Amino acid sequence: MGHRAGVISSAEREELGSWPGSAHEARRFILDRLPGSAPVEGLSAEADQYGRAEEPAVLVEPSVIEEGAFRAIRVLDPDQPRGQSGFAGFLDGTQRISIVSQRQGIPIVWATVSAAARLRVDRRMISWPTRPPIVRGKIYVPFRYLGQLADELRADPRVVDTAKDSSADKIPSRHPAALMEAAVKRVQDDREKAEQELAEAWCASEEGTLYVDGSLTASQVSSTSIKAVGVIKTHRRLYAEGDAFRVLVNLRAGERTSVFRISPQYRYPVASWYVRVREAAGHDALFGLLRIEAALTPDMSARADEVSRWIIAEGSPLALPDGRWDKMAYGIRDTEEFLRAIS
Amino acid sequence: MTEPLGRVVATERKPNTPHEFHFWTSLDCPVGIGTIVRVDGAHPVEGKIPHIYGIVVEGFSYTDLQSPMHDVLSHDGIPSSAGFAVTERAEIRLYSAAVLRQIPEEPLQPVPMGEVFLAEEQDVATALRMDSYLKEGANTGIPVGVYRAGATDSVIYLDADFLLGPEAAHLNISGMSGLATKTSAVEWLLSSLFAHFPESKGSVAAVCFNVKGPDLCFLDQPGTNLDDRDRELYEKMGVKPGPFENVSYFAPYTAKGFGLNTLRSNEALLHNVKPLTWGLREVLQYAEVLLNKDDIDAKADALIDFITERVVDRRFDQDSYLSREHTVQSFGDLENWFKDLLRGMERANAESWRTHHIATIRKVRNRLSNISTRCAGLVTDTGDVSDLPFGSFEDRAVYVVDVATLEEDAQDLIFARIVSKLREHLERRDLGVKHLVVFVDELNKYAPNEGQDTYVRKMLLDIAERGRYLGLVLFSAQQFRSQVHRRVVGNSGTALYGRMDGDELATPGYSVLSPATRTKLATLEKGQLMVRHPHFTQPIFVRFPRPAVMQGRDGAEKFPQAADVSLEHALYRSLRTIDEGVSMAWVRDLVSLYDEGELLAARNAAMVAKPANMRGFFESRLRKKIPAQPAFNAGLTPRETISARSLPDDDPYGL
Repeated sequence: MGHRAGVISSAEREELGSWPGSAHEARRFILDRLPGSAPVEGLSAEADQYGRAEEPAVLVEPSVIEEGAFRAIRVLDPDQPRGQSGFAGFLDGTQRISIVSQRQGIPIVWATVSAAARLRVDRRMISWPTRPPIVRGKIYVPFRYLGQLADELRADPRVVDTAKDSSADKIPSRHPAALMEAAVKRVQDDREKAEQELAEAWCASEEGTLYVDGSLTASQVSSTSIKAVGVIKTHRRLYAEGDAFRVLVNLRAGERTSVFRISPQYRYPVASWYVRVREAAGHDALFGLLRIEAALTPDMSARADEVSRWIIAEGSPLALPDGRWDKMAYGIRDTEEFLRAIS
Repeated sequence: MTEPLGRVVATERKPNTPHEFHFWTSLDCPVGIGTIVRVDGAHPVEGKIPHIYGIVVEGFSYTDLQSPMHDVLSHDGIPSSAGFAVTERAEIRLYSAAVLRQIPEEPLQPVPMGEVFLAEEQDVATALRMDSYLKEGANTGIPVGVYRAGATDSVIYLDADFLLGPEAAHLNISGMSGLATKTSAVEWLLSSLFAHFPESKGSVAAVCFNVKGPDLCFLDQPGTNLDDRDRELYEKMGVKPGPFENVSYFAPYTAKGFGLNTLRSNEALLHNVKPLTWGLREVLQYAEVLLNKDDIDAKADALIDFITERVVDRRFDQDSYLSREHTVQSFGDLENWFKDLLRGMERANAESWRTHHIATIRKVRNRLSNISTRCAGLVTDTGDVSDLPFGSFEDRAVYVVDVATLEEDAQDLIFARIVSKLREHLERRDLGVKHLVVFVDELNKYAPNEGQDTYVRKMLLDIAERGRYLGLVLFSAQQFRSQVHRRVVGNSGTALYGRMDGDELATPGYSVLSPATRTKLATLEKGQLMVRHPHFTQPIFVRFPRPAVMQGRDGAEKFPQAADVSLEHALYRSLRTIDEGVSMAWVRDLVSLYDEGELLAARNAAMVAKPANMRGFFESRLRKKIPAQPAFNAGLTPRETISARSLPDDDPYGL
């Protein structure tokens, strides 16, 4: 799911008691509890870059589930108004990562993750009253490389071991960059969990459809509910090889592709398709291109048409001044601004 | 406890200070420019939660758009398609407020973060420091209007100690003409003042100069255009919605002398209209007002002083040039004295008299004699004086001096003399009242910021700077405050502003107001005022009711001005106000016997004296004449009676 940086709110800080509420507090917190550690004035932006290790850009053959070959399907006349949207809410999450300390070269990371769902009532965005937004601050350390870490910290669920032996991840080396990448991976997992919590709560309680900024495949509930639609803006992995690729890059505004099924490893299968919300003439091939994820349903063609029209409708108003305005819905920009204000 | 309507916000770029803070509200919040709000701080200072009171002086609204172009792009350049957007942009209402008061007042700190509430009635009193003068037993509050915001409907009081002295004094009103601001506000405020001025502070009266139209001519007549909202305001502010109960009008005669020179000349309203006439003694003291400085050099000034000191009201007989004894008591006497003196000098071929050159004497004679012509109707040749009741002014009475139709010279003379007399009496504490309000409209004419120094301007400056110690208070009004002498408006403790002209608001005097406040001033509705008062740290907007007196235009329609009348009718109308038994036949008989000047002089004397036996008094002022009697001879029937021919005016014996 998408993310943006943020800071922890004062309300959350009160709930946390003595637990740090900011990178600065975390720095002092670690100094008190980990003898021999040295504070680091690391900028969050510098720390963030470790988590942006690029996935390889790949083309994948789409497993088309709609009748016929992978093709472009017009869902809206470009000369017509964008129409109405059926989305009732928007979900997004953010994360902020800072190296606050180091001990003998081992980075100690402080991160906050946050997620919120925003409800749209009478065309205005408000907080979702059912579940408050989530703002969580945690310390990420590789336990195995910090022998003197107090038991008190080891037992605290808010202190995350970034070098734990697990089936999904191999143990990182002592290389600081490797440790940072491991920490960032954990932070991303935590942010995704926060987003999942809210998405599942939405599916359990709301009637309307939720626009989720990112994939649904991490959650069994979301990936099988018709109340959630995932929208992916980045395309390191393109489900369009061979003829499908030509169809995809030539997709016009107001068109979608055939629906295909994706089944990621360790995740849940969903139906997916591409839709172009803005004309790409004069821009790169991925301009205005979104990949949509939705629960697999028997009437997938009609569902894809309907959701595609909603997605196109969300193109107004523009999400400017955000740099991703060609793909971003204004509701998601509003949610990000909201998270920036409270976290 | 009411719900908060906003939250204080501060950023590094837009921080809060001890004097200003910022807050946001919901989009449908009843906050606007001039709204009073209260901030409750979140953290105690020295054990006390701070409360900050402020008035909204600026408002901002914006969305998350960084460029208008983004909105154009959002809607494909088609404004009507904006309505199809599925989401409305996030929008903010952000307000800046000027601090009215902080409690506790020390230490004076920047306004803290906190919740913002609409000020309730008690909050308004605290914010404006009205609590200090609305105490039980020591209440000196004079209602000036009602402040309204949301559900709050709060009376705003001025402090009498700062309106009529001794702490501060004077009131100045600015506003565009024709928008029921200046005159209406003064009429309302005088009503309020008379209703609420504390008895413990003594008596109060008002002298109003009606300088234009019929504005102040019907203060004793009930208003015709009050509506329920006005009556509610009167009730809320504890003022009876009625006309002034004790009003006297004063106006000079017309140049012809038959009637009074006022728009209040309708016969039905003459009962409280009195003539204003002065003689030589009264005028000479203020000759400076009427005489041009270029005319009156040091030599002429010395001669005028000599005449004032040694000639007027004295027997003047021991002089070689004079042919007879003179007792100069009127302009007529003075003219005779000049004639006699100049003839004597010519006879003796003398060039000077008592060091005064003959040319100077001729010049002074010319200028002084001219006064009774220039101020005809006000200045009498005969010396009859009809004046304001100096020494017997009554509490809560209004004395209107109508100078609206007079020449500028006469207006200046009236203003100078009346204010000087008021001042003299107040200094001696024998005016009859302890406090006196003098209302002058068109102040930019009488006390202009530029131009040569005039006697009237000097007097206004004197009142503005020293009047409060005497109880002499100036209520003044003008369209352009920037054109009035700074020391006059600067000494006005209280200032009211109605709707203002944009050009006037662009002058430096208004730069202390925020752009939004200036804009509000330029668009104020009728019945709204901005008030500045020494207790209020920021100007406050209030609403006041229509005055409960007949407006000039309505009065002029209901009581049209009397048409020019004959001498007979003029005498009949005037004398009937003293004695209702006066008949037209009696007047006609007198008119047939006596000349116009003599009759008018007798009328003027009767109007001043108001004798019990009016007819006897009147006839005693006329020279004895034997009226023509009807001839009833035995051989003649009444139809055949031959009327006696009227006697020549200058020959009472008919010789």
